[in-house]
This record gives sequence, C-alpha cells and structure tokens, in this order.
Amino acid sequence: MLIPTDGLLTFLEGCRKKDFGPYKNVFSPVWPADKDSPSAILALLQGEDRLALDGHRATDPAKLLLYGARERVAPFVADPAPSLLAGIKACDIKALDLLDRALLNQEFVDPAYQAWRERTTVLSFDCTDAAPTCHCTLAGGRPYAETGFDVNAARDGDHYYLSAGTAKGRLLLDLIREHVRIDDPSGRVPEAVKARRLEMTARVEAQSAAFARSGDYDRLRASPAEAWAEESRACVGCGACTHICPTCYCLILNDESQAAEFVKVRSYDSCQWHGYARVASGASPRPRMDERFRHRYLCKLVTMKKEFGSLGCTGCGRCTEACPGGIDFRSAVRRLMERSPSGRPAAEAG
Amino acid sequence: MKPNPYEAVPAVLLETIDETPLIRTLRMRLDRPMPFRTGQFVELSLPGVGEGPFTPSSSHFVTETMDVTVMEAGFLTEHIHRAKPGDRVGLRGPFGSSYPLTEFEGQDLLILGGGCGLAPLRSLFLTLLDEAEKYKSITFFAGAKTPQDCPYKDAFLVWQKHPKVKLVRAVDAVPPGEAWDEEVGVVTVLLGKLDIDPKNSPAVVCGPPVMMKFGTRDLLKLGFREDRIYLSMEKKMYCGIGQCRHCVMGGYYVCKDGPVFTYAQIKNEEGIWD
Repeated sequence: MLIPTDGLLTFLEGCRKKDFGPYKNVFSPVWPADKDSPSAILALLQGEDRLALDGHRATDPAKLLLYGARERVAPFVADPAPSLLAGIKACDIKALDLLDRALLNQEFVDPAYQAWRERTTVLSFDCTDAAPTCHCTLAGGRPYAETGFDVNAARDGDHYYLSAGTAKGRLLLDLIREHVRIDDPSGRVPEAVKARRLEMTARVEAQSAAFARSGDYDRLRASPAEAWAEESRACVGCGACTHICPTCYCLILNDESQAAEFVKVRSYDSCQWHGYARVASGASPRPRMDERFRHRYLCKLVTMKKEFGSLGCTGCGRCTEACPGGIDFRSAVRRLMERSPSGRPAAEAG
Repeated sequence: MKPNPYEAVPAVLLETIDETPLIRTLRMRLDRPMPFRTGQFVELSLPGVGEGPFTPSSSHFVTETMDVTVMEAGFLTEHIHRAKPGDRVGLRGPFGSSYPLTEFEGQDLLILGGGCGLAPLRSLFLTLLDEAEKYKSITFFAGAKTPQDCPYKDAFLVWQKHPKVKLVRAVDAVPPGEAWDEEVGVVTVLLGKLDIDPKNSPAVVCGPPVMMKFGTRDLLKLGFREDRIYLSMEKKMYCGIGQCRHCVMGGYYVCKDGPVFTYAQIKNEEGIWD
C-alpha cells in the first residue's frame, strides 16, 4: 500500500508516545542532536529526534540492539513488551537472517536474542543513498530488502510503498491503516520504486566496480602468508571491525554471580584480540596479528558461508569505516584473491 | 521452551585433593545429576570469578559426585585452587564428543598421556576398569615433568597391579633429592615398550600440544591407523555450545564436534597442534 511520507512519520511519533499500537519502545537510526555528524546512529526514540529512515545504513548495526554488547543471559527473564525497530536497511536484514540461523537453531537458542526477535517488529527501508564504503552488491546483496523484514518501506517521491513479509508485519500494516491516510491500498509495486531500486543498485555497483572480485572465496585459503602479512600491516588489533560487523557474534560469558545466585552476562569478544583463542597454558593457535587478521577474513567469506549458507559479510562497509588503520576490506579482499595461486580470473587464465 | 544453555547447575565442593604442587582434584556433588560420557567436558564456574572448560576425571559410572582435576595456570584456576570444601560452584554441560568405548571392546587399547592431560585419561581409565571384562588389555603410558609433578600418585600404584593393565610412567627429569625408580625421558620413549599389535589397536592420546604432536607422529610410524588414533583436542572451549567460536579449528568446533577426534578427521585442518 502507498502512504504519504509525513503520515508514516506521524505514525512513528504516535507509536513513540504510545498513542498508537502496543510498542513500549521505538528504535530508529537518528541524526545525533549534539554534533554535526555525517552518520546516523541507532537509538531509542525519545522525542526531538531527527529520524534517519531513508539514506543509507546507520553507523550502528541492528545487532547492537538485538544482540547487545552486554546482556544478562542467566537467569533470564524475557521482557514481553513489543518494540518497533524502524529504518534498518537490507544489509542489516541479511545480517539478522544469519544471526537467526546462528542463535536460534535446533541445537541452540540464545534466550536474550530470542526475546528481542520475538518482541521486535522490524520495519526496513530501501536505501536512497550509499555510504562511501557500501558494497552490498559485491556480497550478493541489493540496497533494498525483498525478504527478511516484517514490513518494508520503499520511498516513492512523497510516498512510501509498504509491503508486509510476515504475520507480525501484517499486524503493523493494519495498525498503520487505522491511523494514516492510505493513497493506494493495492499491493502493486510502483514503477518509480522499481526504477529507484535499479538506479540504487547501479550506483552501488559503480562505486564497487574497482573492487570487483570473483565469488570463489575458498581460494583465499591459498593466498600466501606474505600477502596476509602485508594486508594486515596497518592492523592494530583493536577489534573495531568485529564489534561493528552486523554478523559477528563471538561472545564471552562472564560470571557475575553474587551470593547464592549464578549470574551469567554475555558480552562481545573479538577474534582480533590476542587472548581470544589463547588457552590457560599460554598456547594459542593464532599468536600473530596477521594470523588473526586472516582468521577474520576466512570466517566472513569462507567459514560462515559453509556453516550458514551465506557470506558473513553483507557488504555494509562498516568495518572499513571503523578501522583506525584505514584498512579497506574491499581492496584487501581483492588483492588477496589476486595473490592466491589460482587467483587470476578464469577468462584471463584460459 | 528450550532450557537456557547459559544456566549453571549449582554444586557443592566436597573435598580437594592435592595431586602435585600445581594440580588439585576437586570432588563435587551436584544439586541435579549431570550424566556424562567419558571424554566429554563441562564448564565449571566459580561464582563471581569466571568459568572454564574442564574434563571430569572421575568414571562416568560414578553419578553421585564428579571429580575435576585442575592445574593452576591462570586467573580462574588460581581461584579454583583457593576454593574450600563447602564452597558453591556451578557446572554446565556435559558437552562434546566422548571416547567411543564400544570401539575399544575386545581390543588391546593404548592410552598415551602427559601432564594435565592425565585428568581426562583418569576418567577414561576408571570407566574402563569399571567394565574391565569388556576389554582385552589396557596399556597406559603416562608422563610428567618430574616425579613430584605426577598426579594420582597413590592410585597409580593400585592400578599398576590390575591384571589387565600395563601401566608405565616416565618423567622428563629427576631433580636431585627426588626418588624415582620408573622410566626417565619424554613419554613417547615408552612406546619402545609396546607389546600390542598397532595395526588393530585403538590409541587414545591426551596431553600438552607438543606431546600430542610427537605422540601421534610416533604412533603413525609404529603402524597405528589414522582413524583409530583418538585425540582430545583441548582448545579454548569458552561456551561449550558452538556459539562463542573461540575453539573453531578449521571446519570444526572443538566443543561440539570434539573434543575427541580421530587423527583422520582433523589431519588436514590448520593449527591443530598450536
């Protein structure tokens, strides 16, 4: 259905004030109020916020909310109050899909993530802009989501075209209908939306063209040790890339028990840190920085693909944005692929 | 609702047994039983301090209590060594793969271990002795740095007398003033005393990485089959449930797919001996 853009903003403000809907909390990317920042951050709406619903992905991944940097996981009592997460983009939707497979499966359910997922309705938005490091198309993605959301909003001039992907999403659409004027109730995707999607895809493809690579990431395994050492030279091992990555979920389980109660708190760990895989005796499978650097690249592009069926990289480019050493993930992958013994593209090799 | 995988079962520490200056066995009684198969591990947490993976060192047929044998090596284990009888601890588990006992039935089994690797092997050994009639023979080669670093001192003397057991110990060195009338040298030198047929016999190896590496190499030279050498790959199994990713070894999670692997399974993975 098609609704006016200001109608959706009014609706979200109504949800925030709890005038509409069951939502206890509404989260969205916002422009920081206190400083002139080019990047939106994910925040709990509190009024007076400038929402960043369109544009490109926020600095923060959705993981920061749904799989918090520090959460008590035992004893765990779920907060059932529904919340609404609006404004995340296709790269984060893809990342949530991977996290669902990692954290909510037959063998294992993370209780805190499960509670967040169940109580949160996700309203994603098509990208209308690309950050300089965005490269979702290189990771097999598109700057708009086709599945994985509860409701998706695609900008069409002064309207949003809304579509529901789940039962939870249909409830949200019902709620929107109650409070907002609908200009076209049909499920027809406007031509302008289709055109914008093509245009945005072409734009991301164009800015990624210089980093184009084949999808045969297995051959990264064969890239020589010197190549890894060179690519990781500027890496200081801070772990910013893994903390900001929308699919990294490595955890530490801290024991914060007091008196008779056992309390477990999970927090982020980083495979880029020296102590990550080191055992008490001091032995470590990856004592050197270049080994840990390689481990991350292989995890994102090979291991996770094998394990979850999709790359651990959604092409959001946050790791490149966050790196204090200025390491560009796109360039590093391209060069590493080229330096693999089987690294030449098939056409050239022929 | 699935049970919360992060929740620990409370236990009370019944007694502590000093094995060596650095190694101590803790005997615990759990509030709820935690049946395990020998070779599997548990996460032992000390309230307010932390949690780490340990392999029980008691027989899996003993259900009222559980032993773990802990070497003092870092922050958590220092605190575990300070724990007193009556203290409360927490356990999660059991996790991972176990020793395939049915594969050992009717066989001459070799157990090769050193240092703190003797803890899981004590569990295996005691479990085997509980059903000794099922096994043809058990050869147990155990190593330690010096005589005073040998754990389970009194028990070894009893085990050595068992009719189905050939148990030989070696120490790397005998410092002046210490008594020792068994073998001297790294534990793999004991393989020279082997009197079972390597081609058909299973072998279990557990110990520090360097011992595992050279132990496996020597077993292969002797003719043991790659798929019958069972290795306890102890990596940093931080969560025990394949979630924290610390113990990832190539395509395997040591905590879920291991810790007991055959050499054939993992020989092509990177960094197995690191």
